[in-house]
Amino acid sequence: MSPSTVLRISAAGFLLTIVMVSTTTPVYAVPSYARQTGMACQACHTVFPELTPFGRSFKLNGYQLDNLPQVQGITASKDMTLLLNQIPPLSMMFQASYTRTKMALPDSAAPDARAQNGQILFPQQASLFYAGRIAPGLGTFIQMTYDSASGTFHWDNTDIRYVRQVGNSLTYGVTVNNNPTVQDVWNSTPTWQTPFDQKTSAAPVPGAATQIDGVLAGRGVVGLTGYMWLKHATYAEVGFYRSSPQTFSVNELSGPLDSTAGGVVTGAAPYWRIAHERQWAKNSLSFGAYGMTTKISQEGEPVGPPTDRFRDLALDGQYQFIGDPHILSVQTTYITEHQSLDGSVARGAAANASNDLKTFRLGGSYYFRRTYGGALGLFSTTGSSDAELYQAAPVFGFASNSPNNNGWTGELAYVPWQNMKFLVQYVSYHKFNGASTNYDGAGTNARDNKTLYVLGWFAF
Amino acid sequence: MTLNLIARLSLTTMACLAPSLGLQAQQPGVTQLAGQVCASCHGPRGVSVSPAFPQLAGQGKEYLEVQLKAFRDRTRGDPMAQAYMWGMASQLSDDTIAKLATYYSRQKPARGKVGDPKIVQAGRTIFEQGLPGANVPACLTCHGKESEGNGMFPRLASQHAEYLLKQLVMFKSELRAGANAPIMHTVSTGMTFDQMVAVATYMRSR
Repeated sequence: MSPSTVLRISAAGFLLTIVMVSTTTPVYAVPSYARQTGMACQACHTVFPELTPFGRSFKLNGYQLDNLPQVQGITASKDMTLLLNQIPPLSMMFQASYTRTKMALPDSAAPDARAQNGQILFPQQASLFYAGRIAPGLGTFIQMTYDSASGTFHWDNTDIRYVRQVGNSLTYGVTVNNNPTVQDVWNSTPTWQTPFDQKTSAAPVPGAATQIDGVLAGRGVVGLTGYMWLKHATYAEVGFYRSSPQTFSVNELSGPLDSTAGGVVTGAAPYWRIAHERQWAKNSLSFGAYGMTTKISQEGEPVGPPTDRFRDLALDGQYQFIGDPHILSVQTTYITEHQSLDGSVARGAAANASNDLKTFRLGGSYYFRRTYGGALGLFSTTGSSDAELYQAAPVFGFASNSPNNNGWTGELAYVPWQNMKFLVQYVSYHKFNGASTNYDGAGTNARDNKTLYVLGWFAF
Repeated sequence: MTLNLIARLSLTTMACLAPSLGLQAQQPGVTQLAGQVCASCHGPRGVSVSPAFPQLAGQGKEYLEVQLKAFRDRTRGDPMAQAYMWGMASQLSDDTIAKLATYYSRQKPARGKVGDPKIVQAGRTIFEQGLPGANVPACLTCHGKESEGNGMFPRLASQHAEYLLKQLVMFKSELRAGANAPIMHTVSTGMTFDQMVAVATYMRSR
């Protein structure tokens, strides 16, 4: 491989990393809900974005609670034809950040030179939300985001749900959404996982991740799922996802997906979720499982067999103590993925017909008076080595052909107002893309990617 | 599962939901309102799990009406009132408030919870005899012999101790104002924190 090819792969890898991270970074504390309900952020969030039991109820009930004057329409037979907020449920979000890695990244064009370290993103993200009740039973969380890395607006997290209630103990509904687990209400599943829901988009991150852990979200999918919630305790959901390009960076076509598109979900990918929560005094404890099976077509090949098949199975749990002035939360998830890579093997992109990938995360956070807080967490991914799937390349490659990574993250946060957060985060890697030292074959060590991240986050 | 089967199942699901898409000019009944909205914090039939939110089951009708109107008018302004109840009560009509108050007053109260015997006894003494030296009258004078409440004076029996303690602290500091709060400001001014804990623990045990 020539040096120029290596540099191009490196630059492309960095760009891909930025795009992947920026398109899957969750942001979901929305002041339009506070305006609609007339309730402070603390009703739904311990500290945003983590949901309280009340916040989970608000979401599962379709964002319906509405304490604003309404514009109404009614027929002669007393059928209501319009029930609309006098204030549109609009919100804005702005994030600015500073990122510094222990070692600057290689210059993407000049051999042996280094890029500038200490990246300021202003904004890192800026989002416009339409989030609230739009009709009885029907509510939305719709986010459009300006991403400074690509310089474009893109369609971000979206959850549109229609909900009904039977008596006081059963809620059921359907949600149309664009990211598996974006519709979930526990902060232990991938999309809304806390702590460390906010991450830098300007530093290398490990290259291996399971489909349900953010990969599909970056590819553009749409899901239709139905759910039921019984006695405010037991939750069950089932549905499926299909490809639906949502950003120009995924696919510029507006027509049917074909061989020019990569990562197309073939057919429908079934998704399921069960969870149970128990509340006592100021505590809540939940355990659950979730999973999906996805068939992915190969870029450059006609849509259809041979495909890669990913079967994701996961467990998760969450504990919350919501007191005054102390708030404590612990979240964990364990995801296993079995990969049958017929498509990739056929085109030489994978060496093994089947691989495994397993991710474990455990994190806890503490806040005093919802103002001063900190969090600590561990993460680990292990999986099968594959000489084709995991190849050597500067910074973003896998010289040992192993996807393994692990490390820890720490964070200090200051929340002077309920809609304003400042945080300092530090990510330390013991193993990165398969090894601790020279993991990429170009002399980069895992510790070189240790990252300091400073974020200012405002929602209004 | 084939795509066709999934599509059929989805259409069936949507068909089941379709009748409810015809919007009806039907305000939720008070039982529905209490069970589907208030219950999120105050629990099914007004028996709450978290001590951050008061038990409403068996609470006096008149007291509930006064408080809901104070939330609506923003005259009761303690932190939890501002964070939760100002919004929740803002669109309630007098009629709905009256119906909600009636609904909760008719629910079976939560059962008491046993507390530390020494603290309970100290609280019982204050409840029955007051603190004559500190100008604190006996609680039963207004709240009833069984702390069952009386008109605008709330039922205290089996209420969360932490909730009661917070209210006493906020009456004393005048953080909780409006809706009869001046009476309790006078009463609580003569109480120490430990005495407040004792009374709250005794009330929880009833």
